[in-house]
Amino acid sequence: MNALLFVIRKNLKNIVKSTFRKPLALIGYIIVILFIISIIVYSFAMPSGIVRASSPELFRGIMILVFAFFYYTSLKLGIEKGSSYFRMADVNLAFTAPLKPNQILLYGFINQLGGILILVFIALCQMPNLKNNFIMEPYGAAVLILAVVAYTLSYPLISMIIYSWTSVKKERKVLVKRIFDGAAILVALIFVMDLARTRNFSKSLIDVFGSPVAVYFPVIGWTGSIASSAVEGFDTAFYVGTAGMLTLITGLSMLLYNMNHDYYEDVLEATEYAEQVIKAKREGKNAYVIQKTRKNVHGSVSGQGARALFSKSMLEQRKASSVLFFDRMSVSVVLTAIILKLVMPSETKDFSLLTVLCISVYMLLLIQSQARWAEELEKPFVFLIPASPYQKLFYATLADHLKNMLDGALLFILCGIFFREDAMSVVMSILSYTAFGAVFIYAEVLTRRIFGNIHSRRLMLFVKIIFSLVLLLPGIIAAAIVGALIGTQFMIIGALGAWAFILAVTLFIFSGAIFNNIEASS
Amino acid sequence: MLEVRNLSKRFDKVQAVDGVSFKVNPGEIAVLLGPNGAGKSTTIKCIAGLLRFEGQILISNKGNKEIEAKRVFGYIPETPALYENLTVWEHLEFIARAYGLKDWEDRAKCLLARFDMDDKKDKLGKELSKGMRQKLSICCALLINPRMVMFDEPMIGLDPKAIKELKSVFIELKDAGCAVLISTHIIDSIDEVWDKVLIMNKGKIVLVKTRSELEQSGESLERIFFEVTESRKEGEA
Repeated sequence: MNALLFVIRKNLKNIVKSTFRKPLALIGYIIVILFIISIIVYSFAMPSGIVRASSPELFRGIMILVFAFFYYTSLKLGIEKGSSYFRMADVNLAFTAPLKPNQILLYGFINQLGGILILVFIALCQMPNLKNNFIMEPYGAAVLILAVVAYTLSYPLISMIIYSWTSVKKERKVLVKRIFDGAAILVALIFVMDLARTRNFSKSLIDVFGSPVAVYFPVIGWTGSIASSAVEGFDTAFYVGTAGMLTLITGLSMLLYNMNHDYYEDVLEATEYAEQVIKAKREGKNAYVIQKTRKNVHGSVSGQGARALFSKSMLEQRKASSVLFFDRMSVSVVLTAIILKLVMPSETKDFSLLTVLCISVYMLLLIQSQARWAEELEKPFVFLIPASPYQKLFYATLADHLKNMLDGALLFILCGIFFREDAMSVVMSILSYTAFGAVFIYAEVLTRRIFGNIHSRRLMLFVKIIFSLVLLLPGIIAAAIVGALIGTQFMIIGALGAWAFILAVTLFIFSGAIFNNIEASS
Repeated sequence: MLEVRNLSKRFDKVQAVDGVSFKVNPGEIAVLLGPNGAGKSTTIKCIAGLLRFEGQILISNKGNKEIEAKRVFGYIPETPALYENLTVWEHLEFIARAYGLKDWEDRAKCLLARFDMDDKKDKLGKELSKGMRQKLSICCALLINPRMVMFDEPMIGLDPKAIKELKSVFIELKDAGCAVLISTHIIDSIDEVWDKVLIMNKGKIVLVKTRSELEQSGESLERIFFEVTESRKEGEA
């Protein structure tokens, strides 16, 4: 254990040391730390129920639904790939060393604690929104963190146990996947049937996910109940949930620590997969793109010259998702629409689409970590194709625009139905959303053209975000003036969209020659 | 020494390794050859204790997953994965602690100097090139003074000097009584050093020959490799 603790200690020490060697990164980290501290302080200090005071039952329903979704997706992925606390360095150096496997497991578990911080941060970022809509207990933020910690510690343990049982036979894997999917379909059916009866989304959410069966349902209900005590207070469900999760985590850890001495094979594939995900994230790619390629999809790349880039992207897309462009981002967009329907204050009903547009564009800026086109830079073909740089840039980014348009269409058509908006406003919102997406794409292109391949992807994204915000600001001010003068949602969305379009075209013109200037990434 | 008895490994419906048995004696360099998908990597991962298997693997007469076996066994993987935030020297220190080595510093310095890494002591794992990572991986495995060592495609990514140095390391390990198993595709790279060749195809060992047996028959290793791997394909067709 001494050797493994040495790795942890040196790892932390060297991270701190290397940060101090890069002043720019250090300033960045200080800003991030200050930002986190201010969010934590704000989360605890801000008053609750400012916009409205929704029922605690609704909060419980939302929390159990959220954790059900988290557990379902992470455990299903766990069945496919296992779950690993380890990196390939551990496999090559620690697994082969004369160290006890249970000590190595404990070391992996300690390492996992670092990952909790990120999820805690994401949870804390939701606090202002939650406090606006619910009256939270003074310890609300603390119990939310507790629920996140319980989730982060429990799902890898459960994944590992399920994976070691299913990895022996394919039939077992199929059986467990069917049980998971069957349970998910059953819950969805119950919800839809309830919705048909009540015709009220919030009420059905409370009926299904706030029912005693859901509240005391092992793992999902327990974790959700810990989180929901942020509004409900310390009730029986909280104590049952806390005791249940504590027993589960301790029990599973002991089971793995004492009994399973031969888990290396179980975590090997998962570790290789985790390594791929880390590599993809580091390159700024969506980590989910490496999940699956549908092998039965065949097709040809049509088009000549730069157009071939576009048809190649479309073929890749078809292989990546069963419905073209429909991926996790699209699922998030649909969920966003549903959540906005639930939480949108009634005061904003005249500007509901505008509110959705602002929120979704903000999300797009943060989530769209790197558009598809940038992957082209890692291969030589885009540099070699005999076509003008403008053509190459246009066709290399066209699939991204289509993807944004599809997500926008999904989001705004749903919101249009939910908020009973007119068709023209919906269409204008979709076009504006696509134009904003184009601004972000070409802002990144121009950032790369100006700065070249910035070594740190995070810094590149930071520069892109600041650059995009500065460029968009005049348009936002203009739209606010239009809003103040005319006051119709359609005109404001139109003004915003027009500005974004002009900006996107300008950025495209300035960034056009990128393939003549930039160097290949690898 | 290494003894593999009736080793089998199945992944779902694929029989990756099928009843493989072989022995690498102390002071012997065995080379595991085979085309892609022959089962070499699976065999190596089983020996390294990373996969479950049927059969028996003994390192110095102990089961390969026992602590005593691991203490005398060095492994250089095909893709050297290192701790990104540990320096070169800290990697060696970790190995020394993990294997309970005493007075390891001088040996570590010698190994680093030998592979031109003595000026890279303070470099972090993530700052090293692929070749440097491979060299450090070799140094980590050799630091423990192994009695059995396994190299998986060891030449890939190394510069000519390091390749030359590694070949002399093979000979030194052999002279010191270490059992050496090298898995590779590149027949030329090990032509001067091997004592025993194990050719794998479709999960089975299809040929075992010593250098003297091959020399007596007057055949080249390359020719015999193609003969046993290609003839099987033709036979199947």
